[in-house]
Amino acid sequence: MVSQTRREFLKLGLAAAASAAAASGIEIPLFANQSSNLQNQLDNANTQMANLKTKLNTVTGFISLNINEQSLVEAIVETIIPSDSTGPGAKEAGVIYFIDRALAGDYGQSANMFMDAPHIPPNIPVTAGPLMVNPSLAWAMLPSPRGGGGSTAAIAYAGDSTHGITASPRVGSGINYQYWMNLREFWRFGLIALQAYSNKAYGGNFQTLTAANQLQVLKDLWSNAPKTKYATSDDLTGFTNILPSDFAYELTFMTWSGFLMDPLYGGNQNMVGWDYVGFNGVNFGNFYGEGLNQQALMVATTPTKLKPASLAQYQQAASGGT
Amino acid sequence: MSTVINEPAVDVVCLGVGYMSGVVATELALQGYKVVGITKGPYWDYVNDFSMTKYDEWGVGLGRKYDSPLPLQSTTIRNNSSQFALPVRRYTMPIQYHALGHGVGGAAQHYGGTMGRQGPWGYQMLTRTTGSPTTPIPNSINPQDDTHDWPLTYAEYEPYYVEWEKAHGLCGTYNGSPTNSSTDSSSQHYPWMSQAYPLPPHPLTPVAKMFQTAAQALGYNPFPHVSSLASQPYTNQYGVTVNPCVYDGYCGGPCDYACETGAKANAAYRTIPAAMKSNNFTLVTNAFIYRLDYNTTNNQVTAARYYDAQGNIHVQPGTVFFNGMWGYNMIRLLLLSGVGAPYQYNSGTGTGTGTVGRGLTNGYLPYKGTNVSGTLNLGGNAYPAGNGSGGSVDIYDLMDDNFDHTGQNFIGGSQIGMGGYPGGGPGNITMAGGVGSGSMGGIFKATQQNKYLPTTTSVGATPFGPDLPTLMNYVDLDPHYTDAYGDPVSRLTYDWTPNTYNGAIYLVNKVKAILQQMGAQNITVGSNVNPGAAHNDWWGHHLRGGLRVGSDPTWAALSGYNQLFLNTTQGVNIFAAGEITNTTGDTVPSGTHVAGPQSYRAAEGMKKYLQNVGTAGVNYLAA
Repeated sequence: MVSQTRREFLKLGLAAAASAAAASGIEIPLFANQSSNLQNQLDNANTQMANLKTKLNTVTGFISLNINEQSLVEAIVETIIPSDSTGPGAKEAGVIYFIDRALAGDYGQSANMFMDAPHIPPNIPVTAGPLMVNPSLAWAMLPSPRGGGGSTAAIAYAGDSTHGITASPRVGSGINYQYWMNLREFWRFGLIALQAYSNKAYGGNFQTLTAANQLQVLKDLWSNAPKTKYATSDDLTGFTNILPSDFAYELTFMTWSGFLMDPLYGGNQNMVGWDYVGFNGVNFGNFYGEGLNQQALMVATTPTKLKPASLAQYQQAASGGT
Repeated sequence: MSTVINEPAVDVVCLGVGYMSGVVATELALQGYKVVGITKGPYWDYVNDFSMTKYDEWGVGLGRKYDSPLPLQSTTIRNNSSQFALPVRRYTMPIQYHALGHGVGGAAQHYGGTMGRQGPWGYQMLTRTTGSPTTPIPNSINPQDDTHDWPLTYAEYEPYYVEWEKAHGLCGTYNGSPTNSSTDSSSQHYPWMSQAYPLPPHPLTPVAKMFQTAAQALGYNPFPHVSSLASQPYTNQYGVTVNPCVYDGYCGGPCDYACETGAKANAAYRTIPAAMKSNNFTLVTNAFIYRLDYNTTNNQVTAARYYDAQGNIHVQPGTVFFNGMWGYNMIRLLLLSGVGAPYQYNSGTGTGTGTVGRGLTNGYLPYKGTNVSGTLNLGGNAYPAGNGSGGSVDIYDLMDDNFDHTGQNFIGGSQIGMGGYPGGGPGNITMAGGVGSGSMGGIFKATQQNKYLPTTTSVGATPFGPDLPTLMNYVDLDPHYTDAYGDPVSRLTYDWTPNTYNGAIYLVNKVKAILQQMGAQNITVGSNVNPGAAHNDWWGHHLRGGLRVGSDPTWAALSGYNQLFLNTTQGVNIFAAGEITNTTGDTVPSGTHVAGPQSYRAAEGMKKYLQNVGTAGVNYLAA
């Protein structure tokens, strides 16, 4: 899909440049005695312009993912939510566009994350020995026992055998992500590592693997196989600084989000994701004149499928639009 | 350097403008006192801020666009004092989310609205368990126990409950009391009410009705769930009018949306409008309070310092202060400012001294709880419909000492309810169990088809016993991580107590019997959980304790009027109330509801303080 879109985009770019003259031409007023030949030409030009404008309005580019990442992410999201006999998948929903925009925005910038140093990973076992960490100056200078009482000496954490030196949180938990990099960087490293692992373990780029092996690569990430399958000293899998399951979480979470979040974020195009799961969006029972109401729907004993409505539709309707 | 701006002195300075400050500010402003309320966020306006943009799962659920930004401040968590505490880096959903409020109304701008009074047992948990207010709960139930009775009894708090419920327009019927009499034997167990809730409960769902019938057949006393989301138009005692709930479902649950009609009770739509109208109240928004100025000669707080949005420093003097910040922020400000006695835990001896930060507990079970579930042959609409706290039915018979605990290794129990309105966003329903390796590929995808249009309904519960205070769990300042202004963030040292799990293991079988009575199929009981294996990677939005009320300043930070103790005979001119000042009672009923009466109690104490200020010996108000 990506390469095809790119080709279409390039083609359209050339067409738009070539028809710049025609674009100004359509504003020439028509006179009563003009020949039908000229009229036909203008009609044709107008039709072409209308088609072009439609295409320009629907063609979509990327603002964050690079060329290599585009084709790789495309293959990954279509593995996580395939298009199949049950209905549309990540491809039709435009999940890759949701991810691309998220990576360029707050999500990728970790704009709403607490990123203060030091960055100390979870899951440090007690066998690693005491962890020595310097205090912040602000804490060190506070009087004891509230702070360090003037001492800037490193503090030792020994942990215990049950809990470890740092906690063992769930993947995706609020304290799990302790990387120094923001999520855009995390994805960049993660995608390179995933491709390296795909080549090493399955003999080719992820995009070239069979569907079964593509799914297996992702499952391997979840089970941290890239870390355990090969010698620790061998960093050819690329997952030297990233726990594979942490990256698998982002891939899976963001793919489903791209399938199910409001279309205004670039995914869930034409609300195919909502239609698939039977979600109503902001259709509260009468958006399309169904004549149903929330109070009846919320105590119903049989389900009623509503055609979903998006936030944009809701706002348009609320402001008096159609 | 920042410009320092000296603000004119006032009678009362409210730190934070959430539920608790809303009551205190309004009560005192209406008495003619000059009050300033300071919040780090904006004044939300449901019409302009929420009504057009709230139906946004990505922005609300994960982006937490109406909540406190994590780059501004976070907290760190660890399971015990030997560990390095990891900072909470991000909001994730579901379950992991933590929803600190931001602005007027605080966290109550986006909660589910669950309410319910705490019964008489919760106020005298220690005495009613061991027979003495000084005999600790046994080690087998709660190691290094630090459980204590409240300074007042349920009967003494009851009038304050009434005021708080009227102010916020709570919906429900008597919660749990079969007779609702303050004089018969059931009054020892159930929270009898001198007045009914001001509004009727929300309509019940079919599942709730089945639960109700089954519970009655088994001899329990079911009641509709208590909610703070107005079920009808309402005007409270301050003359503030309230719109009713529109049941559109974008409400509580894992996303916790803000309300677009103001039906969801919080300070912005119940109390602060009355304070504003009095002309005695000044609201300061987008102001980050970072210190209290404290005079160590006379032990008085003289001013609150905050940064405005331009980074200027403002100094706000006052006669009396009210700390209405959320949870650990309330504790953090006292610790940063050197106000009160900081708690110090000695892991070697298993002892602790000091009170500020002591006794941290949690109102929820970790995700690794022991649960029970089944399936009903009953469909419905699982897309947003209803609200965050209505539709269900609860029983109170398996909590507190409402049942025989002979031979059990836990105290208290759990409120058990079922049948709440479905809802939440589509991402939530997919990710409800957490995203994992199973959430990929065509087979999983097929399980999501028409998931919002179920023809059968899953029912179940994850009950648990109350989380008891222990010397091991506390809040202090983190030695390593700092907020956006360079001050240490709070550190939570916390692990689940055995009482919580032991209660869960007993209670799941009670729930199982109810499910069987309801005709549920495929009933499964989850395996028992070893507390040692359940690390706390989740941090609650219902933290309790840490700055407890009590009658003994060796363990209690606050007196019976919610005033900070200096010692047994003196107090400091700062009061506080909130879920974090709740000495732990039983589990599920909202800690906010239990905190509510304390806000009225604090307001009363502050009025007395202001009436007598300058008089020798009146700076300490005993319970």
